[in-house]
Amino acid sequence: MSKRTVEFNVGRNPEMGVDGSVVDSPIFPFDMPEPDLGTENMLINIGPQHPATHGVLRLVCELDGETVKRVIPHIGYLHSSFEKLGEYRTWNQIVPLTDRMDYLAPLIYNCVYVMTVEKLMGIEVTERCKVVRVICMEMDRIFSHLLWLGTTAIDVGAFTPFLYAFQERERIYQLHEAFTGARITTSATRVGGMMADLPEGWTNGLQDFLDTFPKTLEEIDRLLTRNQIHIGRSQGIGAISAEDAINSGFTGANLRACGVDYDVRKDQPYYDYETYDFEIPVGQYGDCYDRYLCRMEEMRQSVSLLRQALERLPGGPIDVEDPNISLPSKTDCMSDMESMIHHFKLITEGIPAPEGDCYMPIEGSKGELGMYIVAEEGGTKPVRWRIRPPSLVNLSVLPKLAEEHLVSDLVMINASLDIVLGEIDR
Amino acid sequence: MTLDETKAGLDAVEEGPHLSEKSMGSSDGKIADPDGHPSVVALLLRFGDSVSGHRVSAGTQHVVWIDSARNLEVLHWLRDDQDHQYDMISDITAVDYGAGRPIDVVYQLFSTVYKRALRIRCELPLDGLEIDSIVELWSAANWLEREVYDLFGVTFRKHPDLRRILMPHDYEEGHPLRKDFPLRGRFSRAEQTRRALDQSVEHSYIAEEMDLGRDPQQAVPIIGTKDGDG
Amino acid sequence: MGLRDVLPGGGTSSVTGGMFGDGGPTFLTSKIDWIINWSRRNSLWPMPFGTACCAIEMMASAASNYDLARFGMERMSFSPRQADVLICAGRVPYKLAPVLRRIWDQMPQPKWCVSMGACASSGGVFDVYSMVQGIDTIIPVDVYVPGCPPRPEGLIYGLMMIQEKIREESLSRHFEHRAEDPSSVARPHANDAQVVGLTGPFGNSTQQEELSNKESGATEEPPEELIP
Repeated sequence: MSKRTVEFNVGRNPEMGVDGSVVDSPIFPFDMPEPDLGTENMLINIGPQHPATHGVLRLVCELDGETVKRVIPHIGYLHSSFEKLGEYRTWNQIVPLTDRMDYLAPLIYNCVYVMTVEKLMGIEVTERCKVVRVICMEMDRIFSHLLWLGTTAIDVGAFTPFLYAFQERERIYQLHEAFTGARITTSATRVGGMMADLPEGWTNGLQDFLDTFPKTLEEIDRLLTRNQIHIGRSQGIGAISAEDAINSGFTGANLRACGVDYDVRKDQPYYDYETYDFEIPVGQYGDCYDRYLCRMEEMRQSVSLLRQALERLPGGPIDVEDPNISLPSKTDCMSDMESMIHHFKLITEGIPAPEGDCYMPIEGSKGELGMYIVAEEGGTKPVRWRIRPPSLVNLSVLPKLAEEHLVSDLVMINASLDIVLGEIDR
Repeated sequence: MTLDETKAGLDAVEEGPHLSEKSMGSSDGKIADPDGHPSVVALLLRFGDSVSGHRVSAGTQHVVWIDSARNLEVLHWLRDDQDHQYDMISDITAVDYGAGRPIDVVYQLFSTVYKRALRIRCELPLDGLEIDSIVELWSAANWLEREVYDLFGVTFRKHPDLRRILMPHDYEEGHPLRKDFPLRGRFSRAEQTRRALDQSVEHSYIAEEMDLGRDPQQAVPIIGTKDGDG
Repeated sequence: MGLRDVLPGGGTSSVTGGMFGDGGPTFLTSKIDWIINWSRRNSLWPMPFGTACCAIEMMASAASNYDLARFGMERMSFSPRQADVLICAGRVPYKLAPVLRRIWDQMPQPKWCVSMGACASSGGVFDVYSMVQGIDTIIPVDVYVPGCPPRPEGLIYGLMMIQEKIREESLSRHFEHRAEDPSSVARPHANDAQVVGLTGPFGNSTQQEELSNKESGATEEPPEELIP
């Protein structure tokens, strides 16, 4: 596997440590013993309604002065019981729930859900559908990373990247809208295919976006990557070692920033990802700055993936041609008796599933996103629908990362983890 | 259409999944062909008496049922054995089939070394919903086990911090993902609204937090809320 | 000699519409109203209470393309103490309900509330154990913006409706508009019967009282075999 290391090393001045190894010099080279003032620790509450918690996360911190001694995160302030609700829905009716779970990358969630159901049922989708789904997922990876970039930049005091990022996001919104009719809640996939084929001229729109987006990305890159304030706020903050990261369940860019090249697209390939030419950016220090660099590089890789996918986009049908899975066309439904019966059966009863369970992981925008489905023989509803939430597991490491950092760093660490509360609380 | 008919229709629409007569998904003692997966072969050799079932699901996914009393031992071996090295726990969850069937605790394992996945399931009878916590093996298990405890009521022995995670810590209606739990909760909406709003600020802090930073000489901890005066 | 006797058009004559008429709005009060309402409606400070998908659309409204600042909402006030309009964007679970109520109680008068999206207005698809079925059971709502999520244009239209509402207000009827029972702090906005009526099947759209009461009557008392 190709491996890419972070090249930038701005602002880090390595010094020789005691055992001859290279260590980073502290920002302030003073080593003064702290006078004993008889202080006591303080308990402060951040959230659940706080702009820096990126949603309705609540953090209770024990502070010694400005140093965080301990953080206790409280979640569940957005618990919408998707998993329970899914048990009352047929397979296709669950699709609209999935994009309300992660509203930052809705198409990835649409796709992974139907991929899991298809794997359970043994349905092989068409070649065109595979490529269209790859396009959807890579587009929404950029979509999600852009929001992360904008909001994280605000957290460290830079407002301009937010406006730049939203300008580009607005163009993806338009692509979403042209394809699915909705800006965020796309619900674009169906078991065995997509809601509809790509509309005419849509690929040209995407091509336009791909032509100009890298320029904007470079501008944001210029604003942040060598920005002394951004470097000061993110380098050496919230670092974690590779072993700890794996043990704590870190996935996605957070794990890759620690130097582990684990990417589900490479390690458990789906949809011919092994045939695409792309690289996995890997960090070195595992701190906030490396997470930032990894995500920036991931966006560039996604652009390259999108270009390749557009090139190889084959023709042909987008839905599987099985009347027990895909709905017939409206014309057939109105003129052909058999099609109408299939339509009626599919709508009223749903698609029968075989008995068993299926866990399908993919590389979501925030980490390993898995769905676990348990079905009974002939069941048209899941017995259990479980989402393996990458942000939940990533967030559970926050107390470990934030220890002994300043409160302002806590904000940066929380932002750098790229969490979305809709999916943490589900 | 009478009111009763309307209500019966509504109930039918909202009907959740119900089990067919056929037994499914449980460890029926059958051992499917384990040849495709080296770890399953090794598990059968080493822990043969604890493996109560094995099946291949969705084409390629191997599921092994093990005795719930030995989950810690088996998972520890799977993590540390040189030939397996399942160093990443992707997910911990539970499945309730309803109808008095046992609740299954499910572990999704992945080895970043050998790029292999394995699913381990442990059956827990409804009158003995207890299993050993695996937080000592993977710290990622901490919140995932809390979530299973919250939503299913499975107690994890020796878990460092076992309290509700998604629902309020004093939620009284039960464990929502159990099949006998109604979709809209056990209390009426009016009661739920009243209970939600009938809380003081201190109520949202757990006891541990109230003790945080409390000096023995100092009686009351300093609590600053975001909405405090100022 | 008071001001009334000096100013032209003064006095208490309701026929001439005197400046200090006892009855309805008069020349001076209506001009003051106009000035106050004009300044008030063009300098609203929204308090974004964003929870889920709608919060992203709210951010899009505030960002470059839609630019909420054109309507005098330049400053998003993240502190409720300095805010005029509460924009509740997204679903609100019961766990979050006391937070929402507390934020509303902390906002100083005059204040308005926009319920953005289907989930905030009615619970949306989430008719489940953990979700508040419409924030109007918790706090009073002035404008509901439909959609799942509403487009930024929808939110902007909703905020313009708030501006329109402010334009209609009058200082002389201030206590009519703005009165709030002090004892209602931290209490639900709706009474039990209203909550049950609103949250039954179809209750939020058609208020089918009979059906709703029947539906909820069964679950009024918690069953005894409650799992602890």
